[in-house]
Amino acid sequence: MSSNKDKYFRKLYLQNRIVKYIITFAGFSSIVSIAAILLFLLLESSPLIKGAKIEEIFSFSLPDPDKKPLLTGTDPYMRVYYIMSKDGVIKFYYASDQSLMRSDTLSNFSEEKILCVSRGSLMKDVFAAGTDRGRLITFRIRFKNDFIGQEPVVNINLKVLDIYQVDPGQQQQVNHIEELIFRENDDLYRFYAWKNHHGGFNLRIYDPDEEENYLHDIKKILPADFNVSAFTLDFEGSKLIAGAKDGRLTWYDISGLKNIELIQHWEAYRTEISALGFLIGGQGLITGSAEGSVNLWIPVRIKGQEFEFQKINSFESHSKAIKLIIPSPRDRNFLSIGSDGEIHLNYSTTGRTQLKFSPTEEIVSMAAFSPKSNAIIAADSKNRFGFYNLDNPHPEITTKTLFGKTWYEGYDQPEFVWQSTGGSSEFEPKLSMIPLIFGTLKGTLYAMFFSVPIALLGAIFLSQFGTMKMKQIIKPTIEIMAAIPSVIIGFLAGLYFSPLFEKFLMEIMLFMILIPVFFYITIVLWRFIPAGHKTGLKTGFELLLALVPVILSLAAAFSFADLAERVFFAGNFQQWLFSVIGVTYETRNSLVVGFALGFAVIPIIFTVAEDALSNVPESLVSASLALGASKWQTVRRIVVPAAAGGIFAAIMLGLGRAIGETMIVLMATGNTPILDINPFNGFRAMSACIAVEIPEAPVGGTLYRVLFLTALLLFAFTFVLNTISSIIGDKLRKKYARF
Amino acid sequence: MNIDKFYKKKQGEQYIFALALGLVISLIMVIWIVVIILSRGLGFFWPGEIVHITTKDDRQYLGELWTEETRKEHTDSGIVKINNTQLKTGNRDVYGIDFVWINNATIKSSDKPEFAVVFERKEYGNAYGYISSVQIGDSNYTYSEEKIISIAKKAFDSAQKNHENLLDIQEQINDLLAPLTRIQREISLLEFKQNMLTPAEKKELEILKSKAVTLEQSISAPYQKLTDKLAEYTEIDRKINFTLSLADDRAVDLKASKIVRFYLPNQMNVFSKSVHYISKLWELVSAEPRESNTEGGIFPAIFGTVLMVILMSIAVVPLGVMVAIYLNEYAHQGVIIRAIRMAISNLAGVPSIVFGIFGLGFFIYYFGGSIDQMFFSDKLPEPTFGTGGILWASLTLALLTLPVVVVATEEGLLAVPRANKEGALALGATQWQMIRKIVLPNAMPGILTGIILAVSRGAGEVAPLMITGVVKLAPAMPFDLTFPFFHLDRKFMHLGFHIYDVGFQSPNVEAAKPMVYLTALLLIAIVVALNLLAIFLRNQLRKKLKTSAF
Repeated sequence: MSSNKDKYFRKLYLQNRIVKYIITFAGFSSIVSIAAILLFLLLESSPLIKGAKIEEIFSFSLPDPDKKPLLTGTDPYMRVYYIMSKDGVIKFYYASDQSLMRSDTLSNFSEEKILCVSRGSLMKDVFAAGTDRGRLITFRIRFKNDFIGQEPVVNINLKVLDIYQVDPGQQQQVNHIEELIFRENDDLYRFYAWKNHHGGFNLRIYDPDEEENYLHDIKKILPADFNVSAFTLDFEGSKLIAGAKDGRLTWYDISGLKNIELIQHWEAYRTEISALGFLIGGQGLITGSAEGSVNLWIPVRIKGQEFEFQKINSFESHSKAIKLIIPSPRDRNFLSIGSDGEIHLNYSTTGRTQLKFSPTEEIVSMAAFSPKSNAIIAADSKNRFGFYNLDNPHPEITTKTLFGKTWYEGYDQPEFVWQSTGGSSEFEPKLSMIPLIFGTLKGTLYAMFFSVPIALLGAIFLSQFGTMKMKQIIKPTIEIMAAIPSVIIGFLAGLYFSPLFEKFLMEIMLFMILIPVFFYITIVLWRFIPAGHKTGLKTGFELLLALVPVILSLAAAFSFADLAERVFFAGNFQQWLFSVIGVTYETRNSLVVGFALGFAVIPIIFTVAEDALSNVPESLVSASLALGASKWQTVRRIVVPAAAGGIFAAIMLGLGRAIGETMIVLMATGNTPILDINPFNGFRAMSACIAVEIPEAPVGGTLYRVLFLTALLLFAFTFVLNTISSIIGDKLRKKYARF
Repeated sequence: MNIDKFYKKKQGEQYIFALALGLVISLIMVIWIVVIILSRGLGFFWPGEIVHITTKDDRQYLGELWTEETRKEHTDSGIVKINNTQLKTGNRDVYGIDFVWINNATIKSSDKPEFAVVFERKEYGNAYGYISSVQIGDSNYTYSEEKIISIAKKAFDSAQKNHENLLDIQEQINDLLAPLTRIQREISLLEFKQNMLTPAEKKELEILKSKAVTLEQSISAPYQKLTDKLAEYTEIDRKINFTLSLADDRAVDLKASKIVRFYLPNQMNVFSKSVHYISKLWELVSAEPRESNTEGGIFPAIFGTVLMVILMSIAVVPLGVMVAIYLNEYAHQGVIIRAIRMAISNLAGVPSIVFGIFGLGFFIYYFGGSIDQMFFSDKLPEPTFGTGGILWASLTLALLTLPVVVVATEEGLLAVPRANKEGALALGATQWQMIRKIVLPNAMPGILTGIILAVSRGAGEVAPLMITGVVKLAPAMPFDLTFPFFHLDRKFMHLGFHIYDVGFQSPNVEAAKPMVYLTALLLIAIVVALNLLAIFLRNQLRKKLKTSAF
C-alpha cells in the first residue's frame, strides 16, 4: 500500500521534473530562434568577404627542357590538360595521375618551329599558331564528355581549321612570326595581328561569309615614331590596341574590315608598354608597363560625344616589367604576370589585387585559366609545370562595390548601381547596396511624414479627450486596420490608389494645401459662437467638428483643381512637372507608397502611443487639474512629456515596420533601383528586392549571399530600433511605477 | 477681457481640434479601405444589365455596363471633360480585348435587348450575343428568340450531362489502364539502364514484359468497349452547338460543352439574380480556378491557406504556450526573463521577409537539402524537401507568429488568480499539476486569443510564403486520397499570394481585377472576423483580470 503510494509520488515528481525541463528548454527557444536567424544570416553572407585562395594540386618538370611549352589548358571539368610545345606537338595528360593520354602533331614540317600561339576566344578552345616559316595555323581543340556507365570519358578532337601563308612571295624562311594575337568572334570572323622579325606589323581579317581575307599593313598607318612594343585585339574583333616603347597607345576601329580607323592616340605611361590584354566583354583594357604598373582602361563617352579610353583603376604594382595579361573566361578577373615570375590575380572593376603568388623561383613563361576559372595552370622558363586550384567565389564583392561608388564598364562615371542580372554571359552583376538602402529609407521617410503626425494626434485625442464609449469602438477599429494583410493594402495601392492619385493629382495636392487653411477658418468661426451655446456639447463633438475642414477642403479641391492647374501649371500639372522641374511622374510612386505604408504604420504607432498615454498615472493628471490647469494644459505639460518615452518607442516600432514592409513596397512601386528623392517616382526597397530576386538566385552564388547580407542589414536595422524602444519602455515603466 | 483671453488660450481649443483631425483622418482611412473592398468585391457577381450601344458612326457594341467616368483631356484651349462609358464586351477570342471605352458624346442610341445572352465559357472569358440557332445532333433549330432560349437550355443541359458521361468514361479508361502504365514505366526505367542491367534485373524485366502482355490481353476487350463509348459521347458532344450573333451581326459558333453557364440578365428579376449571385459565390469558394486564376473559384487557395495555418498552429502553439508558462511560472532570474522578453519583442519586430529568407536558406536548402540527401537520394537532383513546400512555409510562419502566441498567452496567464495557484500548491499539488489543473484552464481564453491572432497573421502574410513554397497554380493539393495523404513537400496556393499574383502577374489585369477584389474581400473578412473574435476574447479576459485581482 505504502509502496504503491510511493510509486505514485515518485511518478508525480518525475513527471513534474521532466515537464520543468521541457518547458525551460522551450522557454529558451525564443532566444535560440532569434540567435539562429542572426547566426544563419551572418553565416550565409560572411563568405562574401573571404578572399581568394590558391592551392597547388600538382607540379612536375617537363621531361624535355628544349621543348619550351607554348600553350596549356584544360577541359571544363579539369579531367584532362594539354601542353603544346615548340615543335607543334600537343600532349594530353590525365589530370588525375598526370599520365599521357594522347599526343597530336599540328604541323607536318619537321623543321618548322612554332614561335607563338594565341587563344582566339574565351568561350571556345580555338587557337592560332605562328611559325618560323611565316605560316598562321588555326586550330581547335574540342572536349566531349561521355559516360560509359558511371565512368566519364573525355573525347578529344583536335582539328586544324586553316593554314595561311603570310607573304607567299618572299622566301619562307625569312618571315618569322614573332608575336601573334588571334581572335575568332561569335560570327566566326577571324582576326590575326602579328609582328614578324623584320619589324613588320600586319593584320589579317577573314570573313567567313564572303570567304575573303582583308590584309592591312598596320605599320604604315601607325603614328610617327610609334615603336610597337605590345598589341592586342578585343574578343569581338572591333578594337586593335597597340602600345609603344615610349608609353603611347593607339586605338583602331577594325570593325569595318576593309578600312581601319584611328579612334584614339594617347600617352598612357612614360615608360614602355610591355603587355596588353582585353577582358571578357571587350570593354576593359588592361595595360602593363615596363615599370610594373597595371591599369584598367575602359571606353568612356567624353562630353556625350566620342568614346575614349580612360584609366579607371590602378592595381598593385609588380616589381618588374609586366610580361603577360591573362583574362579569366568567366568574370572580370585577370592574371598579370611580371617578368620576375610573380603572378597577381586582379579583379578589374574593384581594382583589387586579390592574390599574389610566385609558383616557382623561375620566371613564369606561360599561364592559363581553366574554363570555369577555378584553376590556374602555369609553366616557368625551366619547364616546371604546375596546376593550381583557385578558390575565388566572390571576386566582385568588396566593401567599396557594396557601399561605394563603382565605375562599371559602359558608365561614364563611378556610380551606385544595382543590376543583378543581365542577358549575356559577359554581363557583370552590379551589386551596390546603396540604391536599395536609399529606396528603403525613402519609402520609410515618406511613410513616416504621413503617419507620425496623424497617428500621434489621434492617439493623444483618443486617450485624453475620448469617452469610454469612443475608446471601445475606435481602438478595435484601429486594431483591425493593423490586421489588414499588407498584400491587400499593396494591391489597393498598386491598382486603386495609384491610378486615383494620377487622375486626381492636382486635387490631392490642393487638398493638402487647403486643409490647414480650412482648419484655421473653422477654428476662427468656432470662436465666434458664444460660449453659452457650447456648454451643452458632449465630449467627442470635436471629431465631428474636425470633419468640417476635411469635407470643405475636399469640396474646394475638387471644384478649383482645374482652375489652379490652368493658372499655375499651364493647364497640365504633370507636363509642368516634367518641363519645369524635370520630374517624370510615375504612376506607382513614393507618394502612393507613403500613403499606403501609412495603413501599416499608423495603427502600430497609434496603439502603442495610446497605451503609453493612457498609462500615465491618474495622480499626475489629477494634481495638474487640481492646480487649476486646463485639460489642454495638463495634456501638453504633464501627459505628453510623461509618455514621451512611450511615444518615442511607438515611433521606433512604426519605423521598424515601415523598413521591413515588403508587399506594399513591392506592389506599389515600380521597383526601379534609382537614387532620387523626388516623391513622384518609385524606388526599390531592400525587402522587395529580396522577395523578387532570391527565388532566382543560384544557391551559394554572389547574388544569393548579397541578398542574405541585405536581410542581415534589415535585421540589424529593426533589431536596433526594437532594442531602443524596449529599453525606453522599460525605463518608462520604472519611472512611473512609483506614482 | 484680458482674463477671458487668457482662459481661451488656456483651453487650447484649436489644438484639441488638431488632435481630433488626426483621429478623423485615421478613421477615414480605415473606412475608405473597407468601403472600396466591399463595393468592388460584392458587386461583381450581381448580373449587370446588358446594353446594346450604337454609335454615331454606326458601330455596334453589346456588353455589360462596367463603369462610367469623367476623363480630363488637356487640350490647347484648356481642360475638356469627357464622359466615357466602359463596356465589358467580352468575346476575347473575336475582339482580342474584353473591354471598350465609348465616349458618351458619340452614342447614337442605347437599349437593353431582352434576349441578350451572357455565356460564361471555360476559355476566353465571357461571350455576349444573341442566340440565332441551336444545333442538337443533326438537326438545326432556328426559331423565334423566345423559343430558342428554351431549346438552348435543353441543349445545354444535355451537353452538360453528356460531358459528365464523357469525363466518367475517360476516368474509367484511366483506371483500366493504370496497372499497365505502371508496369510500362517500370519497364522503361529498367530499359533505360541498357547494358548495365544486373542478371536479377534482366530477369525482372522479362517478367514485367510478360506481365504487361497478359495484362494488355486481359483488358483489351473492356478497353475496346470503353473507347467505343467514348467515341460515341465525343460525337454527341461535338454536335451540340450554339450559333451566336454578335452585336455587329457576326455569327460565332459556340460548343455547348465549353460553356459553364448562360443567362439573360435583362430578363432576370431580383430573385433570380440573387440565386445567380449565390451560385457564383458558391463556385468561388468551391471550384478550381480557370483562365490562369482570373476566373472560376479559389478553392485550392482557400484549402492551401487553411492547411498551412493548421500546420503552423501545430508548430507554434505548444511552443508559444510553453515559452509563456516558462516566463510566468518557472523563470526566476531577472536576467533570463529580460533576455527572453527582449528576444520575443525583437522576434516580433523582425521583418517578415527576413523570416522568409531564413526559411529558404535554413529550412529549405539546409534542412530540406539534408533530408533529400539522406532519404530521397534516388530522386536527386530533383529535390523533394529541398524545395519550397507547405511544411517549410508553415514552419517559417510558426517562427514569425511565435511572439503573437507568447504575448497573448502571457496575458491569459496573468489573469489566473494568484490565490487559486497558491491554494493548489498548498494542498500539495506539484507545480505541473497546478499548471495543468489551475493555470491552463483559466488561461484558455488567452491561449485561444493567441491562436486566433497567429492564424489571422499567418493567413494574411505573403512575403515569406512567396519564397518558401507558395505557387500561383499548384498541380496537386498538399492533402489528397493517395498515400500518405498529407504531402508536406508539395507546393500550395494561398489567398494572399493569389491576390498578388492575379493582380500583378496576370496578363489581363483589367479582367482579373474583380477576382482580386473578391479574393481580397474574402481574406479581409476572414482576418477581420478572427481579429474581432480575438478582441472579444481579450476583453472578456481583461474583465476577468480586473475582478480577480485581489
